[in-house]
This record gives sequence, C-alpha cells and structure tokens, in this order.
Amino acid sequence: MRWLVASLLVFILIAPGCRQQEQQKNGKLQVVTTLFPLYDFAKRIGGEKAQVSLLLPPGVEPHSFEPRPEDIVRVNRADLFIYTNPVMEPWAASIVAGVDRGKVAIVEGGKGIPLMKAPEVKGHEHEGEHAAVDPHIWLDLDNARLIALNILAAYTSKDPANKAYYQQNAAGLTKDLAALDQRYRETLAKSSKKVFLHGGHYAFGYLAKRYGLKYVSASAVNADSEPTPAKLAELVQLMRSEHLNYVYTEELLSPRLAETIARETGAQVLMLSAGHNLSRDQFERGETFISIMEQNLKNLQAGLQ
Amino acid sequence: MNITEMLSYGFMQRALIGGSLIAILCSVLGIFLVLRRLSLIGDGLAHVTFGSVALAMFFRLQSVYLTLAIIPIVLACAMGILKLAQKAKIYGDAAIGIVSALGIATGVMLASIAGGFNVDLFSYLFGNILSITSSELIIAAVLFVIVITGVCIFYNDLFASTFDEELAKSSGIDTDRINAVLVLLTALTVVLAMKVVGIMLISALLILPAVSALQIAKGFKTAIVCAACIGVCTVVVGISLSFSMNLPTGATIVIINFLTFLCAFAARNVLRRS
Amino acid sequence: MNAALSAKNLCAGYHGSEALKDVSFSVTPGDYIGICGPNGSGKSTLVKVILGLLPPTTGEVSLFGTPQSQFKQWQRIGYLPQGLQFFNPHFPATVDEVVRLGRLAGKRFPKRFSREDALAVERTMEWMGISHIRGSMIGELSGGLRQRVLLARALVNDPELVVLDEPTTALDPETRENFYKIIYEMNREKKVTVLLVTHDSATIGKYASHLLYLDKQVIFYGNFDDFCNSTEMTGFFGEHGQHLVCHRH
Repeated sequence: MRWLVASLLVFILIAPGCRQQEQQKNGKLQVVTTLFPLYDFAKRIGGEKAQVSLLLPPGVEPHSFEPRPEDIVRVNRADLFIYTNPVMEPWAASIVAGVDRGKVAIVEGGKGIPLMKAPEVKGHEHEGEHAAVDPHIWLDLDNARLIALNILAAYTSKDPANKAYYQQNAAGLTKDLAALDQRYRETLAKSSKKVFLHGGHYAFGYLAKRYGLKYVSASAVNADSEPTPAKLAELVQLMRSEHLNYVYTEELLSPRLAETIARETGAQVLMLSAGHNLSRDQFERGETFISIMEQNLKNLQAGLQ
Repeated sequence: MNITEMLSYGFMQRALIGGSLIAILCSVLGIFLVLRRLSLIGDGLAHVTFGSVALAMFFRLQSVYLTLAIIPIVLACAMGILKLAQKAKIYGDAAIGIVSALGIATGVMLASIAGGFNVDLFSYLFGNILSITSSELIIAAVLFVIVITGVCIFYNDLFASTFDEELAKSSGIDTDRINAVLVLLTALTVVLAMKVVGIMLISALLILPAVSALQIAKGFKTAIVCAACIGVCTVVVGISLSFSMNLPTGATIVIINFLTFLCAFAARNVLRRS
Repeated sequence: MNAALSAKNLCAGYHGSEALKDVSFSVTPGDYIGICGPNGSGKSTLVKVILGLLPPTTGEVSLFGTPQSQFKQWQRIGYLPQGLQFFNPHFPATVDEVVRLGRLAGKRFPKRFSREDALAVERTMEWMGISHIRGSMIGELSGGLRQRVLLARALVNDPELVVLDEPTTALDPETRENFYKIIYEMNREKKVTVLLVTHDSATIGKYASHLLYLDKQVIFYGNFDDFCNSTEMTGFFGEHGQHLVCHRH
C-alpha cells in the first residue's frame, strides 16, 4: 500500500516536468497572456519567435476566472507574463506575487494609459480612490495601439537580438489598428443615432467616448451585480425615447437581459463583443482582435443607422 | 413608480406570473421535504443540474436539446440520493451533500477537460426572474400542472409516508415508490425552474415558505395551503418592492421570506402564551 | 378455520447478525398473545417480519392464510409501533388527520377519503375518548394521549388482528391500566386477535391467553395454564420468575 502511494507521488511530481521539457526545447520566447486582445497582439508581434498562450480557457469570462496551480506554474516557466491592469484582472496579483522576477518579465499592458471612471450605480456611490473604475482600456483603439507598443517594448528588452523583427510586426499591427480606427470614425459619424444600449456589464466606455457616442449598460462595471427592475424599466424608457431599434448583448455571458429589453420594446438584438475572450468556435475560426472589432463596427453601424 | 406603471412592463408581468407559479410549486414540495429532513435537496439538485449542463455542453448539445438531455440525468441523480440514503446507512442530508459536491466537481472537471465551452457555464447557475421568456412561462405552467396534479393524486400516501414511513408501509403503501415520486417531482422542478429563477431562489423557495407555514399551521392540509400562500405573497411583494426601491429582485424575495419567517415565529410564540 | 397468523422456521436479522432463529408458531383467531423476552431477544424484529417491514432470511409467514408477500388486505391488521421513527414534536398534523390516516390501509389507487371514512374516524375517537382533542396537534399531546391517538389510528378499520409493540413503556401506571383494559375489551367482545409485545412479563399474565417467550428462539409458546404447570419453565425461569408471570393468571 505504501509502495502504491509512493509511486503515485513520484508520478504526480514528474508528469508535469515531462511536458515542460517539450516546451523549452523549441527555443522560442514563452509568453503567457491573460486576456484575448493581449494574446492576439503578443502573437502578432512575436510571430514565429514566440510561443504565446492565453490563461483563460475558451468560453470563460475573466470576471469569474480563478487561476489553477497549473496556470501559476506556466507563468513561472514563461519569459513574459502580460496582463492588462490590476483592476481588470485582480487575480493576476496573486500570480505576480509568487513569480521569480529575475526570470519572468511582468508586463502591464495598460501601463501609462489613464483609466476612466465608470458610472456609479445609484445608491452605491464610492468616495475618493475607491471610485469605480472602468478597466476595459483596449476598446479605445488608440489605447490598443499603446498596449501593442508596451508589448513591443517587452519583447525587445527580453530578446534584443530580434528587435528589428518585432518592430516590423508591431508596425504592421499598429497600421491596421489605425486604419480600423479611421473606418470607425467615418462610419459612426454618418450614423443617425448616437446612443447605444448594452445588456451586459459596463465595458464600452472608452469606445463610446472616442467616437462621441452615449453608452448605457444594464449592469455596472462588475459583472456580478444584477440590474434591478427599476433599472430595466429605465432602459426600456430610454429605448423608447431615443427610438432605438437595436439593443446589444455581450459575448460569452447570457443574452437574456438584452433579449428581455428587446422583447419589451420590439427591438432586435445584436452582438457587441468586448473581446475579453473568445468562444471555442471563434478560436477555431481563427478570429483576431481586429476581426472581432470589425464585426462590432458592422453591428454598430446597423444598430445606429 | 406606481403599480400600474410596474404592470405595464411585459417583463414584470412575466416575472410575477412565472414567479408565483414556481413559488407555489416549491412551497408545496417544500413541506414534504422539510419534514423529511431533505431541505437542502434543492440546492443539491441545482449543483447536479450544473454538472449535467456541463456534460451536455461537452457533447455539444444546445438550447432545447440541452434541456431535454439534462432532465433524465438530474432525475437519475435524485434517485441516487434516495438509494444512497437507504443503502449506505447515511442520513438524507449527507447523501445530498455527496451528490451535490459530485455535481459541481463534474461540471468543473468537464469544463476544464473540454478546454472551455461557447457559453460561460457558471452563468447557468444564476437565472434571472426578470428575463423570463414567454416559452419559459409556458414551461413553468406545464410544470405547475404536472407537480400539483402529482401531489394531489398521491397526497394521502405522501402525508402518511412523511408522518412515519414504517407506519405507512404497514398500511400497504409502497413507500419506495412514494419517495421516488416526491424526489422526482422535486428534481423536475429544480431543473426547469433553475434556468428561470436561479439557484438562490430555488433553494430559498423550497425551504422558507414551508418553514414559516410550519410555525403557525394547525393541521397538515392547512400547512400546505399556508405555505403556498406565503410563497406567492412573498414573491409578489418581493418583486414589487424591488421595483419601487430599486433593489435586486431575487435577493429581495429571499429577504422578504426570511422576514415572514420571523413574523410567523413571533406569532407562534404569542399564540402559545394565550 | 384459518390461523390468523402462522410463522414457520423464521430466521431474520440485520446486517448479518441473527435476531431470530427458527421461530415457528401459529395463532388462532381470538387469541391474545403476549410476546415477551429480554432486551435484544428479537421481539420487535418478529413484529417487523410479520408485517412485511423486514424480509426474513428464511422461513415463511402467513396472514389469514395468505403468504405475507402476497397479502394485501392491510385493513384487517392494526399496528401500533414501539416508537415513531423520528417523531417530530412539531409535526403539523391534527389528531383527526392522524387517525384518518389509518383508513388508508387496504385502499386502492387513487386513495380518497369518503363519508364512510369520516364516520369510522368519529366512532373510533369516541370510543378511545379523544374526540375532545380532535383538532389538537399531535406533537403537543402528552405521551399517554399520543399513544391513544395512535391506537385509535390502528383500530379505525375495525381490524381482526392488532399488533402492539411495547405500547405502554412510556406511560404512567394508571394510563397503562386503561390501555390494557381497552385492548382486553376488544379481545373479549369483538374477538380481535391481539399480539402484544412487552418486556413486562409480570402484568401480561393478567390479560393474555397465550404466551410466546422469545430469546432469539422460541423458549415457550402456549397458553398460560401450560406455562404455569410446566416444570421445564420452572427450570428455565426459576420458581420466583414463573410465579411472577402466573400469579396474575
């Protein structure tokens, strides 16, 4: 019996090690990212010289994610660990705390990008530094560009030899982002409606601000809080007063709230993805941050016409 | 915001009707469950439903097929709780605990192995009474008819078995079958109503109205009717109050239920002294 | 005439341990059998096997000539168990509801209560002297009253065979005497067969016609005269022990 337990213990200790051998052999930079936009950018900039992975499994929402021991081990074995900011991924702090900074470079993707305040939920006003903050910075395409540059800086400092390669890839990415930004500007300027309503949590503040739109969401910044019936009634009234024919729903989480509002007002539901993470099908289709945002633009154009 | 305005919204109407139907179901079943010390079976079966949903998603089932697929799984687990309690020499509450833990763990395990799903699995645990669709209302109505009919048909047997199982058996009642009927009706209620009102409300509605009714009712039939009334009232009051005071609906209903229990408890003490 | 109850070579037990070994006896309708024995002698087990609540490992039981497994006429038998399994003092049933439950025995699906049932309940409650508390909650009654309610429940169908498992252990002497009187009346006047399990072997001699003495096996079965004249029993119980049982008879 003791023999069995001993061999079981040995097996458990060795098994992960075996997988590790494979990873380090291919000589690429090991990069671990937390959210999909970071994953997408890191993959594009790193190209063939980096192996990038995403901590969130497909279909999982970051607000309900809990890192497993395997995740922490993976970060420890990486060269780069990229997260957005401490507000977006509070669980990243526990990973970062346990990491050997000599080996792993911790990259805050949102470094240097000012955070916007999120609208207060009535009755839950916070004071001073505890005011609710909107951490979804990447939905302002200029911020996305800055994030890409932060990632580039991380790559070049870890692997200066391939600096030119990374710079070239980053340039391509930022060019595409700028072009996308331009398309957003032009298209949304032509729209007749300037308000959009989202049945999910508050994520599109940055996007709305950049293009001069008004944005209202059913839930607050924290995805856990559920809207009160009074809030729902308020949203329904807003739909009616602004004559909105479309309401948006978020990715991965339940579309029920958006559907309820739609049913009440005779509107239709369209998807507006904040890009936190993709579903399994979307990964298999090879969607990128830019392709997701293009789809968003199409849906915004349709909804705001 | 007044009542007419509140009732003008379709989602409020559906919440009130659907909530009331489910409240009556849960309160009535709750009397039997609480007296048999199976109170937490609602919670346990909700966790089993979570695991079953993960299993169905694992096989890439969606929407209607998903719901149809999980019903037999949850019913089977409900029977499993019964069998565990009988054969493994443990009381009902431990049997529920075992199956409940297994349900959640299966869900988490499958989610991990599958490498993720298309929809966040955990959001399945939290329904929202404000977003009941018309088809879900119909399901709630059908469920209502099935469960109430079942309870009416088997009422006397259920009463006898709940009072004392051995005594019931000596009257020629097939107590194994009656226990199965009760547990299966509960399982059906949990599976279908969980998506509509979420795990918190289901658990609470199965226990609280029954316990409040038991504080003050004199007589078994009275207790059942009383529980049903308390269930409906707390749901209606809870929804209305959450509307006018801008509070989350599910939690408000649960708090109202607890306050009702306190009142019933106080009333019982006052009555006892007189 | 068919035996009211007959047992042949019964062996039964729980989880491997044997509680009854090779028990055989036969009961004529109208008999009043006192089932006695020390603690752990299998008295309650015997009752459970007779009523189909516990399957025997070997042997057979027949009720009114029908093998136990096929017996369905439960309204002919009234059962008062030793203690309710998990008696909940807050159980919300009224006395009326509990007594009426007895009428479920032998009913077919769907089980509905009729006017006839209501009348039977009234009658029985009058007879047992509990009509005045018909609306009270069963959990709020004293032990003695509760036993009376449960006895009423057992008798509401006017059964031919009544099985009582230690019905008076928790009662005070006066209530106990009352109890025994009622049962004795039933046995004398209505010719109801009575099986009464008690560890009080001293008092049983006063009412019962037969004695079944169990200690996992049948030590003695027969009428009291036989018991009192048996030298074998004197040897088993000692003179004093035998006298205790017999002096009342």
